[in-house]
Amino acid sequence: MDNRQSIRIVLAKVGLDGHDRGIKVVARALRDAGMEVIYAGLWQTPEAVVRTVADEDADWLGLSLLSGAHLTLVPRVLELLRQAKLNQVGVLVGGIIPEEDIPKLTHMGVARVFGPGTSMAEIVSFLRDRAQQSGAVHA
Amino acid sequence: MLEALLDQFRRGDRQAFSRLLTLASNGEIPQQVLDQALSSPKRSKVVAVTGSGGVGKSTLIGKLIPLIRKENQTVGILACDPRSPLTGGALLGDRFRMVSSTSLSNPTEDDGVFIRSLAAAPGHGAVAANLAPMIRLFDAFGFDLVIIETVGAGQGDTAVRDLADVVVLLLQPETGDELQWEKAGLLEVTDIVVIHKGDLPGAEETETQVRDVLALSEGKSAKVLRVSSKSGHGVEALWQAIKSVQRAGTVMTPVPNGV
Repeated sequence: MDNRQSIRIVLAKVGLDGHDRGIKVVARALRDAGMEVIYAGLWQTPEAVVRTVADEDADWLGLSLLSGAHLTLVPRVLELLRQAKLNQVGVLVGGIIPEEDIPKLTHMGVARVFGPGTSMAEIVSFLRDRAQQSGAVHA
Repeated sequence: MLEALLDQFRRGDRQAFSRLLTLASNGEIPQQVLDQALSSPKRSKVVAVTGSGGVGKSTLIGKLIPLIRKENQTVGILACDPRSPLTGGALLGDRFRMVSSTSLSNPTEDDGVFIRSLAAAPGHGAVAANLAPMIRLFDAFGFDLVIIETVGAGQGDTAVRDLADVVVLLLQPETGDELQWEKAGLLEVTDIVVIHKGDLPGAEETETQVRDVLALSEGKSAKVLRVSSKSGHGVEALWQAIKSVQRAGTVMTPVPNGV
């Protein structure tokens, strides 16, 4: 039997944003790094994303935003995660995020923002390091 | 920790249910613990949806969800996708297709729908490990229906028969000749054969071939339906057919070894 406990991550795009090339490349890279990637796709509402994270019992949520709506949608997702008592779920943001907004997002509770030019290896090692720090994928 | 989770589970806590599914999936809940904790009798109807990769399993399940919900039935879905034999990783994309193909505004936000994506290791008969205890949990949580979507499955992947009350096999036009359907395997353990993508040319011919072959089998034979998720044609008929298959009683007695 295969009892391997891989890192489980939900990747989603919230709001009206049709650019999904980047998130698909990340999905593939994380898959190739041995993770379980639940690809939730385009045009998700914050409510649907949080429900997906809950039902999939994911360790991480990766949000991709290229629409400029990150300061509206990301806090909404974070608030819903808190309301759902999913505080243990780490949140990553990727896409087009202006420099000056990055500290705002991390201050709200985003674990890390990965902008254009990020290597796949960087995302993978970030997630692996965090998994190691927490002792187990599922505590 | 398991006791506390089971307590919350009994009180209807969806997240405790979700966590328990993970533990069950990892093989971390011993069978006797489950049996003790969940005394309720089996009442969920378990439907397996199988067929080769790209035949439209997730899309068709997405089309079934609104029909199931219209009758106020709740549905849990165990969606299996392959795990890489090289890295152990998996890209689980069934949920995305189900959600995009459905006509419900957003099934993800509907409390009556629960989708869990699972990675299936190679060589497990096209399903993830430990599905039985997971189905048990869905049952005890009160879901009326549990749908298992297999990994894209070929001729020999008959393991779902043991888990399901109803096996739905999806075929598509322009696959195989008459001899193809004579072969042993999946077609033998199927209750309903769906000729999917029924709007495409060749669907009628495939349907005729399958019907001819099934007409030769002794005893109860599978229903054959032509369905198009694109046009919606046949989806309602499929739902009616699923409902009409009797629970569990249809399971065939296995052929003893050495006969």
